[in-house]
Amino acid sequence: MYFRIIRNDISKSKLITLTTMIFVVAAAMLVSLSAILVVNLSGAIDTLMKQAKTPHFMQMHSGAIDTVRLADFAEQNSNVEGFQVVEFLNMDGAEIVIDGTSLAESVQDNGFSTQNEKFDYLLDLDGNVIKVSDGEIYVPVVYMKDGTAKVGDKVEVSGKNFIVAGFLRDSQMNSSLSSSKRFLVSKNDYEEIKSLGSMEYLIEFRLKDLSSLSAFETAYTSAGLEANGPTVTYKLFKMMNALSDGMMIAIVLLVSALVIAIALMCVRFTLLAKIEEDYREIGVMKAIGLRVSDIKKMYLAKYTAIAAAGSILGYALSFVFKGMLLENIRLYMGESENSSYALLFAIIGILLVFLAIIAYVSGVLRRFRKISAAEAIRFGTSQEKTAGAKRFYLSANRMFHTNVFLGIKDALARKRLYATMLAVLAISTFIIIVPQNLYNTISSNSFIEYMGVGNYDLRIDLQKTDNISEKADEIVKTVDSDSVIERYTVMTTKLFKAKMEDGTEENIKIEIGDHSIFPIEYSKGRAPAGENEIALSALNADEMGKKVGDVITLVIGGKEKELTVSGIYSDITNGGKTAKAVFTDHSADIIWSVVCAKLSDSSLVDDKVSEYDNKFIFAKVSDIDEFVTQTFGSTISSVKKAMHVALAVAIMITALVTVLFMRMLVTKDRYSIAILKALGFTNRDISAQYVSRSVFVLMIGVVLGVFLANTLGEVLASAVISSFGALSFQFVTNPLSAYVWSPLLMICTVLIATLIGTASSGQIKISENIKGSL
Amino acid sequence: MKKIMIGENIVKYFQVGHEKQNVLDGVSIEINEGEFVSVMGPSGSGKSTLLYALSGMDDINGGKVTFDGKDLSSLSEKELADIRRTKMGFVFQQPTLLKNLNILDNIILPAMRDNRKSAEKITKKARALMKKVGIAGLENRDITQVSGGQLQRAGICRALISNPEMIFGDEPTGALNSKTAQEMMDIISEINSEGTAIILVTHDAKVAARTDRIMFMRDGKIVNEMRLAKSSGTDMEDRTKKVMAKMREIGI
Repeated sequence: MYFRIIRNDISKSKLITLTTMIFVVAAAMLVSLSAILVVNLSGAIDTLMKQAKTPHFMQMHSGAIDTVRLADFAEQNSNVEGFQVVEFLNMDGAEIVIDGTSLAESVQDNGFSTQNEKFDYLLDLDGNVIKVSDGEIYVPVVYMKDGTAKVGDKVEVSGKNFIVAGFLRDSQMNSSLSSSKRFLVSKNDYEEIKSLGSMEYLIEFRLKDLSSLSAFETAYTSAGLEANGPTVTYKLFKMMNALSDGMMIAIVLLVSALVIAIALMCVRFTLLAKIEEDYREIGVMKAIGLRVSDIKKMYLAKYTAIAAAGSILGYALSFVFKGMLLENIRLYMGESENSSYALLFAIIGILLVFLAIIAYVSGVLRRFRKISAAEAIRFGTSQEKTAGAKRFYLSANRMFHTNVFLGIKDALARKRLYATMLAVLAISTFIIIVPQNLYNTISSNSFIEYMGVGNYDLRIDLQKTDNISEKADEIVKTVDSDSVIERYTVMTTKLFKAKMEDGTEENIKIEIGDHSIFPIEYSKGRAPAGENEIALSALNADEMGKKVGDVITLVIGGKEKELTVSGIYSDITNGGKTAKAVFTDHSADIIWSVVCAKLSDSSLVDDKVSEYDNKFIFAKVSDIDEFVTQTFGSTISSVKKAMHVALAVAIMITALVTVLFMRMLVTKDRYSIAILKALGFTNRDISAQYVSRSVFVLMIGVVLGVFLANTLGEVLASAVISSFGALSFQFVTNPLSAYVWSPLLMICTVLIATLIGTASSGQIKISENIKGSL
Repeated sequence: MKKIMIGENIVKYFQVGHEKQNVLDGVSIEINEGEFVSVMGPSGSGKSTLLYALSGMDDINGGKVTFDGKDLSSLSEKELADIRRTKMGFVFQQPTLLKNLNILDNIILPAMRDNRKSAEKITKKARALMKKVGIAGLENRDITQVSGGQLQRAGICRALISNPEMIFGDEPTGALNSKTAQEMMDIISEINSEGTAIILVTHDAKVAARTDRIMFMRDGKIVNEMRLAKSSGTDMEDRTKKVMAKMREIGI
């Protein structure tokens, strides 16, 4: 019997059933996809890091190195399982020419390595440890992704030729957020080019017990071993690998949550419409003695069928799309070893969606209890109470056309009915605006200020070179006399020792200079201003357990100096562990210096970059926009894609739900429509009234959506962005797009959808709905 | 006297499967300006359908309806609506007021469609009408806060708000008790005496007895007609008896 009821019902309401089905399928698909993505990403990262044997602790170092002392340390430390010093040959981008194009524009520190013997393997795209022959070169996978290189291309490194034999996965440096990239060549070839670049060492350790990593870090620092460069740990490698795909998963999760909400609302809509349509029958069924639970079963049967079919279809569809979304994960990290769990989690996710729908339907059907049999049989519609808008009288209305008045009055009088539509429109607005704001924020110039980078046009890096101080002076002399440079500052990073509360000492890199010239955003407090002040990056503050106002003791030239924490900022540079101060110091060694400059005319940046690049061959000159593009470029472009998809999805949802809702309203209101027609209101008048209702609800929905986007959306987005290391930030909105074009687009959509949805009102016959007897 | 409405050979049928079911089977009817006409007949005789066909609220399958010199079938949906709004008034069996509006707003609704600017004048007129039918003071009440009789009176006020040339009543007293029904008919008769033509459908001989002319319908046809000119007396009891006698005579 149920099958017959379901079949009849579906064939009678094809559109509504189809729409509900679409939302259920989409919800099931997205939940399944999120599960598959999460399991695959974490699995793939684990697999990659296991296959590559990623180091647990790595200290980058340039300058002289005492490998014997390091080996001794490794031998004596009982926790060390493996130790090696890897050479990383830094090469100027201009010296590397792939298929005729040089990497001069690249902001990455490109360098060469040979395959490691003990751990930290460079893997091919099948996850095997690469064995490279003479004359061959393996290129970082990121250059395959952006189309810079393909297998068989010729690569010229300072005059020596290689052939691209394949691409490599580097468990340390895969991510575009990691600033270095390793190319792999054979030992013989490496020896040949060794003299052409500057040497950097990666001092790497694998530990027996990863949980005692921080104890190991302290031991390394206390031993006073080589530390002229950033320190990176296993956790950070893992995070870097997870970030860009993690963002995508976060967006998919957000969208799936919203689609589930909309699917449920859609079910509510269609169910209420159906109940409204069947009102009299329900009354009759109750009158002849059917139990509420029996009547409920008939309705539940249909939704169980839809939910089951939708879930299965959604699950199947997620397999069609998973390849597309997993592409990036597969390319960068390879297959996950435990991908079979993905199916299990996807099934659990889909079961949850299914159960949520059934529970919700059952909840909505509770209103059967409230239906009075007598009332249902007499009136055929629910005699819902109208409330509110008491003071909004037609007799006192001078402002609106009567049709507009009637539309607004109806929306105000039946708030509960319109609440569902309002919620969907607010969510749609939210879906449109949040990704838009997110995109505007991360693509705006000021965003880098949240990332620990000031808003300047170009930076000149002095790193991995001798006599940094003198070279910096030379640059300053040029920059100072350059009329195009509006303002500049020199930041010198030095390594100090900080005394911890337990008496141990840890290394801390402090950027010394005038931090007021190119200010960054502080999530707490402010920039250091006095000699005895220091600002910490979030990661450092976290690790040291310091907050604004706390005191840090530094050991400078053997003497202790107390500094007060003036502020905490987010930083993505140099492994995220940095500090800023203004005191003068001549004792500690300079690790690197940066000259930051802002031009009076930003359009001259390109010329200036190449001019300085030629002039200061010992320095790396970068255009900050280029830096942002190359660091965040892929993220910005995927957010842009998400923005477009979100817009399309939201408009589609708005259109579908409005059509559906309006059809339901017309069915519900057929009696009132007949009255209005009898009184001499035209079909156009009726349409105008419905358009007024929907546009009125839309306007409130848009205001609500914008408000939510700027509050809740900002919190959600900052949760996503904080994964980059930015602690707090504010949306940068494009007001024209967010507050003019998007709402206008919504209004047009709602307008057209309302006209389509209410088209059937023209067919409502007065006589059929009012007439008592023939 | 000028004819305000002419129905010629009106045919209306419903398609039931492959069969046509005639509801109006060649009905012709003429109504003069200011005339008071009633239509009687058993359930299913087609009297309500005739009313909706004459007012242009229902399509017809054959014949012609002319109102105020215009052939209704030649008019567009908009022109028909305009006529209904400005020249016709309707009173239905059930109070057909809109739930969202209070009594006053329901009454002024048709007139406000075109003359929002003269809201004050319209409201003043509505108040006068309400006073006339005895529901003054209920202006701001919701429609759920008044009695059926009061709602029906409000319905009459709404029918009159645009000064119609003709009022259509579909069993306007059908849902009222006899005392209220009498009061309603007093009001309707008074409106007619002021010059508005009225056609109403009724089961009730007492109601029909108030009118000038009674058309009797059966099986979609007008089977008889009875004139109750003013000359035939003002004693309602007597007039009612005459109507009932006629009904017996023709077997309705």
